[in-house]
Amino acid sequence: MTRSSNPYPLRWRVLDALDAVAAAVWPRSMASATPYLMLLPAVLLVGLLVLGLWQMADSSLRTLDTTTFLFSEDYSLANYRRAVTEPLFAVVAWRSLLAAAIVTLVTLVFAFPYAYLMVRTRSSRLRKALLIALFLPFFIGQVVRAYGWLIILGNQGMVNEALGLVGIPPMRLIYNYPAVLFGLVQYMLPFAVLMLTPALTAIPDELEAAAGSLGANWVRTFLHVVLPLARPGFIGAGVVVVTLSLTDFAVPAILGGGSQDFIANAIYDQFFRTSDQGLGATLALMLVALGSLVVGIVFALFGAGTLAVGARR
Amino acid sequence: MTAPLSKRIFLWTFVAIAIVTLSAPTVVVLGASFTAGNMIAFPPQGLSLQWYAKISQAADLRNAFLRTLWVALVCTLVSIPVGTLAGLALAKYRVRFAAAFQVYLLLPFTIPLIGSGIGLMLVFGDAGMLGQLWPVGIACSVINLPFMIWAVTASAAGLDPDLELAAANCGAPPLQAFLFVTLPAVAPGVITGSLLMFILALNEFLVSLLLTDARIVTLPVQIYNSIRSIITPDLAAISVVFIACSGLAILLLDRLVGLEIFLKSK
Repeated sequence: MTRSSNPYPLRWRVLDALDAVAAAVWPRSMASATPYLMLLPAVLLVGLLVLGLWQMADSSLRTLDTTTFLFSEDYSLANYRRAVTEPLFAVVAWRSLLAAAIVTLVTLVFAFPYAYLMVRTRSSRLRKALLIALFLPFFIGQVVRAYGWLIILGNQGMVNEALGLVGIPPMRLIYNYPAVLFGLVQYMLPFAVLMLTPALTAIPDELEAAAGSLGANWVRTFLHVVLPLARPGFIGAGVVVVTLSLTDFAVPAILGGGSQDFIANAIYDQFFRTSDQGLGATLALMLVALGSLVVGIVFALFGAGTLAVGARR
Repeated sequence: MTAPLSKRIFLWTFVAIAIVTLSAPTVVVLGASFTAGNMIAFPPQGLSLQWYAKISQAADLRNAFLRTLWVALVCTLVSIPVGTLAGLALAKYRVRFAAAFQVYLLLPFTIPLIGSGIGLMLVFGDAGMLGQLWPVGIACSVINLPFMIWAVTASAAGLDPDLELAAANCGAPPLQAFLFVTLPAVAPGVITGSLLMFILALNEFLVSLLLTDARIVTLPVQIYNSIRSIITPDLAAISVVFIACSGLAILLLDRLVGLEIFLKSK
């Protein structure tokens, strides 16, 4: 305490005053309501999202009058009819769903060996190196990563320049579907590995040793012991990757170059190109529903996986 | 027990491809920022710091970066108290309808980013708050809040409730027990969470794209707008800022709480 001559330090006085204020504002008798008071700010903050959903629902029921560029006063389901019937949206939706499925499959195939090695290696330096290789791109953000891919794969990018040195004419490596899929896999890999690792950590080393001593080789041990036990991790990782790649915006926009729009890009265009807020809100709500539906189906079929553990206790 | 060779080859094939794929953009952006040429070319045209000199002169990039820092700061400052209190409430108390609260507080993750972004754009637009920076920070806090809550609850699970009772028994009033016993105990979670919130807000692209206009673009949006035209190395130099921030965040995370925290089985 700063002034040793003072028998009752200033800091204590301040704290006592604060506690007195706290007791006056929130008396002991209300102690049972304390946790709800602590939850209140978070509930209000997330409430902004609920408010946003409500506003989108309102907008989605109003149609744009293309002669006056005003929105109708009365509600109708016309936007939903357009969203379902226009072939463009079906193409975009199908493209996004297919991408989500492929990306999830490929990402899980690569995430499992990565997570397994990271959990099982006895070298703490290797473990740290793998963690850093995972977190560095995770923390760099989508735009910079996509920019890196443009430098590598672009029409005048490194790969094409290198090919040119050996006399191969430049190839179109970006602005196509495989490029978007590739970019998404790279974006999703850290998420998938981080969802898988808790499940793999939970599998005791001894189980694999036991399988080995009973005569199973490592392939059989993987197939019959590790993979089944890692199922919660696969479900958690799968759900995260499916929903994030289904709804991604930046990767299709940058590596697809406008020719490979996903649902999110179509929504953006409705708001900022055609200025049809109603149709845009309709598509956004339908995407929210589609995402929840996919998650619901996965949970119904396989359970909640590591995400259930994520829902604490 | 050493793993059989075939197993090691199998694992390492996949891991090597993954590492190369994960690191390639970072390495290339770093390399491109030091090029002496005017275009990004292979093989590189020599080393130079000219692009760093150029971006240090570019007021628009510097301002975009400062705006991004401000957004990340607002996001972190909002998230720390909100997320810490909510995380502690869920971890420490028997909350009625706890499951419902959890589902509700996970909404930022279950609603796709484009949906959240559009919704917040409509809400802020109605309130006349668009065109300012702090709502962008609030928005970043909303969409990433589950990370903060998760980090705090994870470290609160290791908090012994007897400690708080002991503090009370020694005469500490509730607020002091909270400040000197509870908070220090969950500090690793708060640190992890706030680092995550800061770095995610620094990188946040889609929500910034929706909530900012041409006057107040953040750096990721600025880079996005530029790479749609011609790719020049000055963008690589400014992107290195993000790589540096990412490296710094990892270093801090490792020093303060240890990266291995993410490997724990819960």
